[in-house]
Amino acid sequence: MAALTIENVKKSYGSTQVLKGINIDIEKGEFLVLIGPSGCGKSTMMNSIAGLETITEGRILIGGEDVTHANPKDRDIAMVFQSYALYPNMTVRQNISFGLEVRKMPKAEREIQVDKVAKLLQLELLLDRKPAQLSGGQRQRVAMGRAIAREPKIYLFDEPLSNLDAKLRVEMRAEIKKLHQRLGTTIVYVTHDQVEAMTLADRIAVMRDGTLQQLATPQEIYDRPVNVFVAGFMGSPPMNFITAKIESETLLSIETKGETYHLPITQGKALASYIGKEVTLGIRPEMITEPLAHKAALDYVKVLNLTPLLTEAMGADTMVLTQFGDMELKCRVNPSYLVEVNKPCEFMFDMSKAVFFDPETEELI
Amino acid sequence: MANKRPFTDMLADSMPKLVLAPSFVIMMVCIYGYILWTAALSFTKSRMLPQWDFVGFDQYTKLMANDRWAVSSQNLIIFGGMFILICLVIGITMAILLDQKIRQEGFLRTIYLYPMAISFIVTGTAWKWLLNPSMGIQQIVRDWGYTDFTFDWLVNSEMVVFCLVIAAVWQSSGFVMALFLAGLRGVDQEMIKAAQLDGASLPTVYRRIILPSLKPVFFSAFVILSHIAIKSFDLVTALTGGGPGYSSDLPANFMYAHAFTRSQMGLGAASGMMMLGGVLAILIPYLYSELRGKKQ
Amino acid sequence: MIYTQKTSPIQKLLRVALYAVLIFMAAIYLLPLVVMILNSLKDVEEIRSGNLLALPQDPSLAAWSKAWSSACTGSTCDGIAPFFFNSFKIVIPAVIISTLLGAMNGYVLAMWRFKGSELFFGLLLFGCFIPFQVVLIPMAMTLGWLGLASSASGLILVHVIYGMAFTTLFFRNYYVGLPRELISAAKIDGAGFFLIFWRIVLPLSPPIIVVTVIWQFTQVWNDFLFGVVFSGVDNLPVTVALNNLVNTSFGGKEYNVDMAAALLAALPTILVYVFAGKYFVRGLSAGAVKGA
Ligand SMILES: Nc1ncnc2c1ncn2[C@@H]1O[C@H](COP(=O)(O)OP(=O)(O)OP(=O)(O)O)[C@@H](O)[C@H]1O
Ligand SMILES: [Mg+2]
Repeated sequence: MAALTIENVKKSYGSTQVLKGINIDIEKGEFLVLIGPSGCGKSTMMNSIAGLETITEGRILIGGEDVTHANPKDRDIAMVFQSYALYPNMTVRQNISFGLEVRKMPKAEREIQVDKVAKLLQLELLLDRKPAQLSGGQRQRVAMGRAIAREPKIYLFDEPLSNLDAKLRVEMRAEIKKLHQRLGTTIVYVTHDQVEAMTLADRIAVMRDGTLQQLATPQEIYDRPVNVFVAGFMGSPPMNFITAKIESETLLSIETKGETYHLPITQGKALASYIGKEVTLGIRPEMITEPLAHKAALDYVKVLNLTPLLTEAMGADTMVLTQFGDMELKCRVNPSYLVEVNKPCEFMFDMSKAVFFDPETEELI
Repeated sequence: MANKRPFTDMLADSMPKLVLAPSFVIMMVCIYGYILWTAALSFTKSRMLPQWDFVGFDQYTKLMANDRWAVSSQNLIIFGGMFILICLVIGITMAILLDQKIRQEGFLRTIYLYPMAISFIVTGTAWKWLLNPSMGIQQIVRDWGYTDFTFDWLVNSEMVVFCLVIAAVWQSSGFVMALFLAGLRGVDQEMIKAAQLDGASLPTVYRRIILPSLKPVFFSAFVILSHIAIKSFDLVTALTGGGPGYSSDLPANFMYAHAFTRSQMGLGAASGMMMLGGVLAILIPYLYSELRGKKQ
Repeated sequence: MIYTQKTSPIQKLLRVALYAVLIFMAAIYLLPLVVMILNSLKDVEEIRSGNLLALPQDPSLAAWSKAWSSACTGSTCDGIAPFFFNSFKIVIPAVIISTLLGAMNGYVLAMWRFKGSELFFGLLLFGCFIPFQVVLIPMAMTLGWLGLASSASGLILVHVIYGMAFTTLFFRNYYVGLPRELISAAKIDGAGFFLIFWRIVLPLSPPIIVVTVIWQFTQVWNDFLFGVVFSGVDNLPVTVALNNLVNTSFGGKEYNVDMAAALLAALPTILVYVFAGKYFVRGLSAGAVKGA
């Protein structure tokens, strides 16, 4: 039985529809990440699950029970907010135990529970402070503590790390992951940050303009994005898109600036009906590299001359922006491969993971 | 869709409405209901007691022909206009001056703002002495040796309305200053620094950057001051008693006099409605922009 | 604040001028108060023969004591003390009730919006600005029917009703500034309408409570219109009594007594202002400005 079922959920504010029919099933213990551009309805989705907003249409089930019309307090969920929303007038201890107190848990049990949570999140020394006396990371932990203390069926995290600095964010990310593994809880997690999404999620739901674009494992989303939007949205730097013509089941051609280039294809069967037609080729930067000797003989690689325009050393790799006809391609090379700006040099295209989209519908072929 | 909910839940859900309900009823009756009631009375020939025979616009016609009403409306325009203008000018100037890292700012601010705590009755009483030619400012200056100094506006029916302006400005300008000072403190400091780095001089920074961003404060101050001006009933009562003659009457005094002491309820109601009309003329554009601002 | 670094002679001169202007203005604002204090300490003869600004030659509190306990205000000659207490009897309940009402209304309007609540707020906002002259006659008639005409309860009721619009506005604007997620978090924690108000919202409210109480106290204490229209002989507020006292002329005018009485009538609000003024200004900048 699914821990959380979102069934054809729609939500409008007046005449503007913010959620346009979302369907998601979340398994018990699953970590689901909601991602999408700003304003696409992620927070609205979360608030609807929590019962803070009433939905216009559809149903929401928690543990098989229809809670579409239930109050937030009857849904057995906990939520961690971007702004943490700690009660400023209460100490950390009171913040954590407030929900228990409201639910009439006896005082003794409450104290045990608070201590347990404090230990888990290393908050022991902060219990008597007020939120104003805490650092950002500490507040974040208190907010999580408040959620954990009640041991709800489902946790909702709405961009919980976006107010932290980069280093703390990485640390807290790891802590959340550990916590999930340790507690085995069901989590719905909203983020803007794709690294967060890729590292944390069991499955990722990519949203756009109130619709669900793709719901799949991080690897599948990365390798087989269902459309141009998902392909461009997930991955940093983003995927390169090139207009190409399918020549045969094994070859495509790219025409730019009067010249024609050819690249091999591996997914020939799927593209059979596109022979002679144009498609959008998607290739990730890490698939355009310096020529690699051990791959040179493979039939899905091809070396072409590109003109570097800009290089960005990132330590482990170097990003190179190159000119290819009238297009610009992002490539990821080994730092030892020295390229000079404006001096054409060789780049190897690995077409094994290339993806193709219908130029009209922008859907994956 | 199944929508069976326990009674307690339904009660909890309607709690906000239940809490607001008494205020809603009070508001509908005691503001809007009473306005309609007054409107109805203004179409009757009620005198000491309400009489429900309707006479159409007779009371309004009478009002328009009434010299005392003409004087009081005219006074309101002069008094209101000058009062608002002078308060705004003094308020903004003082706020800017006080915003220059003044030592003792708190102390000075306390002095400028204290009249706001004092009623118009006391204000009027105090200024009645100060403006009284035989013992107030005129006399003081004469005692200093300028024996032909004259400042007798209080007893001069042409000028008496300016006495109202002086007293009212004294009472309210500090409040306007406080509004603007709060506004100035709320202006984004980085924006100011950026402008200064761009080489803008201090007056330019104020004129081009700070004051334009205080537009909402101007608006609030304007509305509050108009409101004070229109309801200035007590100031007139205490400072001039409406005199000499009725030369310093304001509509509020006219209304009170006719409705409650001269048994002309219909006429009083009509003058009350006219005052409401005046407020609406100022208020509707304000509320409109206020509500539109919220939508954004 | 504007940051200037170098101080040339011209700037120094400007600063001196600045202080001069500020001090001059302060003197003007203080003038009426000083005049009242000085002359309340003189005797009638000294006022009549001397200068309003002259220091009292023989300061005495005689005028104060007369103003307090034996000056004539219209029909009675017991000073303004009884009216002073009348005012307190009206002000205290009126302030408490209207502040509570405003807090609850503001809480709903800011945090529990429902269909129509914005409309209610709009209508109420309008209520802040109506000239009271347009409701005086019906209110007088209603109080008559309710048997509350000329009673202190009637006057309290009137102040509560017409103060409610402002108190609601204050609280609503303050609460709108609190993060809505705080309420969401509390709802998810299981707290209901009143518990959230009591445990989360009210503990965050002292700044706006201070502002509202000061505002209402000043408004009700200083009121003259409602006092003169709705109160009876037994419960005239001090503003009305002061006006009667100043305008009563048996024999010669006793300016010193008038001034002492005026000071006494103004004393409570001045004291509140002096002791809590900084909260008032802070509150003004904290949010009461918007929409007020
Ligand atoms: N109360 C409301 N009334 C009207 N429109 C709203 C309301 N709340 C949100 N919206 C609109 O709904 C859309 C979705 O908002 P939502 O907050 O869910 O976006 P989001 O995906 O969480 O964005 P972000 O990543 O910036 O947090 C936005 O276009 C927003 O303007
Ligand atoms: Mg959001």
